[in-house]
Amino acid sequence: MSRKVYLRLLAVLLTIFLNSLSASAATDIICSSTTSTENSGLFNHILPLFEKKTGIRVKVVARGTGAAIEMGKRGDADVAFVHAKEQELKAVEEGFFTDRHDVMYNDFVIIGPNDDPAKIRGITSTAEAFKKISGSSKFVSRGDNSGTHTKELSIWKKAGLEPKGQQWYLEVGQGMEKTQRIASEKRAYTLTDRGTWLATKDRDGLEMVIVHEGDPTLFNQYGVMAVNPQRHKHVKYKEAKEFISWLISKEGQQAIASFKDGKGNQLFIPNAKQ
Amino acid sequence: MTSIIDSLSRALSLIVHLDRELMGIIFLSIKVSGTALVIAGLAGLPLSALLGFRRFPMRGLIVSVLNTFMGLPPVVVGLFLYLLLSRSGPLGFLSLLYSPSAMIIAQSILAFPIVASLSHSAVIGVDPVIKQAALTLGATPFQVSLKVLNEARYGIMSALIAGFGRVMAEVGAILIVGGNIAGYTRVMTTTIALETDKGNFELALALGVILLAISLIINILLHLFQKKGMAGANR
Amino acid sequence: MSLGLQASEIWQGYGDNEVLRGCSLDLKESGIYVLTGPNGCGKSTFLRICALLEIPARGKIVYLDGGRSLQHDISLKRRITLVLPRVGLFNESVFGNVAYGMRIRGLRGGEASGRVESALEFVGLSHKKVQNALTLSSGESQRLGIARALVLEPEILFLDEPTASVDEKNTVIIEEIIQKLRQDEKCTVVMTTHDRSQAARLAGRLFELKDGRIT
Repeated sequence: MSRKVYLRLLAVLLTIFLNSLSASAATDIICSSTTSTENSGLFNHILPLFEKKTGIRVKVVARGTGAAIEMGKRGDADVAFVHAKEQELKAVEEGFFTDRHDVMYNDFVIIGPNDDPAKIRGITSTAEAFKKISGSSKFVSRGDNSGTHTKELSIWKKAGLEPKGQQWYLEVGQGMEKTQRIASEKRAYTLTDRGTWLATKDRDGLEMVIVHEGDPTLFNQYGVMAVNPQRHKHVKYKEAKEFISWLISKEGQQAIASFKDGKGNQLFIPNAKQ
Repeated sequence: MTSIIDSLSRALSLIVHLDRELMGIIFLSIKVSGTALVIAGLAGLPLSALLGFRRFPMRGLIVSVLNTFMGLPPVVVGLFLYLLLSRSGPLGFLSLLYSPSAMIIAQSILAFPIVASLSHSAVIGVDPVIKQAALTLGATPFQVSLKVLNEARYGIMSALIAGFGRVMAEVGAILIVGGNIAGYTRVMTTTIALETDKGNFELALALGVILLAISLIINILLHLFQKKGMAGANR
Repeated sequence: MSLGLQASEIWQGYGDNEVLRGCSLDLKESGIYVLTGPNGCGKSTFLRICALLEIPARGKIVYLDGGRSLQHDISLKRRITLVLPRVGLFNESVFGNVAYGMRIRGLRGGEASGRVESALEFVGLSHKKVQNALTLSSGESQRLGIARALVLEPEILFLDEPTASVDEKNTVIIEEIIQKLRQDEKCTVVMTTHDRSQAARLAGRLFELKDGRIT
């Protein structure tokens, strides 16, 4: 290979590389979301409908809730679709995001071993249920600053307990499904979202049941918000706004409601205010 | 045990049926890692030649740094690159984050020290008499360098394969800078990580099998190539 | 002979061990020049200096063409060639080894491969041309080294101990090759050997290197 050939090859590669830079078309937006939302399969159901209607392709990057919001703050996403209402509102207040809307919710449930060793079945208050588990059984925590983890910590606080460091409290730092599997193996309780639970309990052969549900504390509100274009000039605000409008429109809400898991369970309940 | 066999058989059927999503993921993996390897080679080979043929200040230091960087943790490279390419980072204006280009950059950085360092070993391993023989036959300094590189070709090939193996199997860096976006930056290793998380062991296992098969094929080819080259060498 | 060589007062050595202490040699006519002397007396070093592979500590190498002194550049270096005692064969075919010098001069195609074939014929290795060069015996390697040099039609061919590590049969063959070159008026051979009887058999002119000087 002579020097000339080498330089020519280098030039060709550089061209390919630069071309691939400009290939990110204007009609692509990046949506930061959470692993659990992506794993539910919701995006595969609704995004093609949105793309078909508007021609805008939504590229989802799934992270933990904390990282997903951080991505937006740094300007690495155009829109965030997460479920940590307090953190979302705080980030909007700080000026990182704008146009926040409630989109839908699902709920959390406490799952535990079939025989319910801590006897929490029948208790109506989630905080009470946590108190009962604390003395008598193991509890597996996500421990990853995810939305589920945040929710769990807020319940412990409400119950007036400090579980961190206790022998019965296992922080695993894993995703929801792994956490469920660990809980099943350890005959422990854990807090999970209904969607993940329904989608995986049979497939993963979990020897667990829902032992507590229905307390309004357990509702898990999903929201969507656009990255503030005044903070990050480059963001595709117009397209992000279009995505948000569609999600909270009648059409978008119907799309969410029509999303079912493999066994026909509806996983999310749309509740956008028109 | 049965669940492993079960997963394996379903994995094989996915492969046999050339599942479209699966093919896309495989193709992207090869494209990203292959491009990264070419870039690492184009940068690493001349550097290894320079280090092998010329004596200059800092040469020893560069070699040590390359050797150290061979073990660069992918997540560290990913994080570093993320901070660089992030919109709030110094190179944010390039809009490279969460694109295949970002993944190629990450993998090039990971492959480069391996290619350069192992090629350098191959180059300095060439018998010095080769260089003299080329000189006596009227080669210019540049032609001498090419000849020595050519003599080191099996070692260099191994270096390239090692680099390719490293980036094909790597998940930490591309997960961070690629974002694992379905149909856009999702490659074999990130899919394996994701599907394992989701409990979809069949797809994860299918990809694992394919990943293994690809590295097996490459290593067999390398072995054949080297055998052909060494046929005479061990007399 | 069109290319002449004058080596005058060449000094070379490492530390206290100065192997060459004012060696001179004058090549004006074609023929076979043999430099002899015991092992380690500096024959190889002197030959390498003459072939422009090494630069002497003191002294001058002058190549002359029609009375004009030539620059030590690549075009001069391409008119002479040296076969090293350890030949340094390339890891490719016997044919490819011989073709290398032609390739780097930009000579390819039918005429070039014709020259390669006849060089191989000359040293008796035609039947091994597709084999990998590294499979050859040391005697064959030396012969291939000579073919690799001869194909370039050098005006001065330096041979450094061509039979030192070679069996008897190949020594005979190599001596025959050198004898054949005696008829070639365009090619001057300068060789070293520690074997005095070989030197006597081959030399047109015989020199001895002793105590760092040529006598």
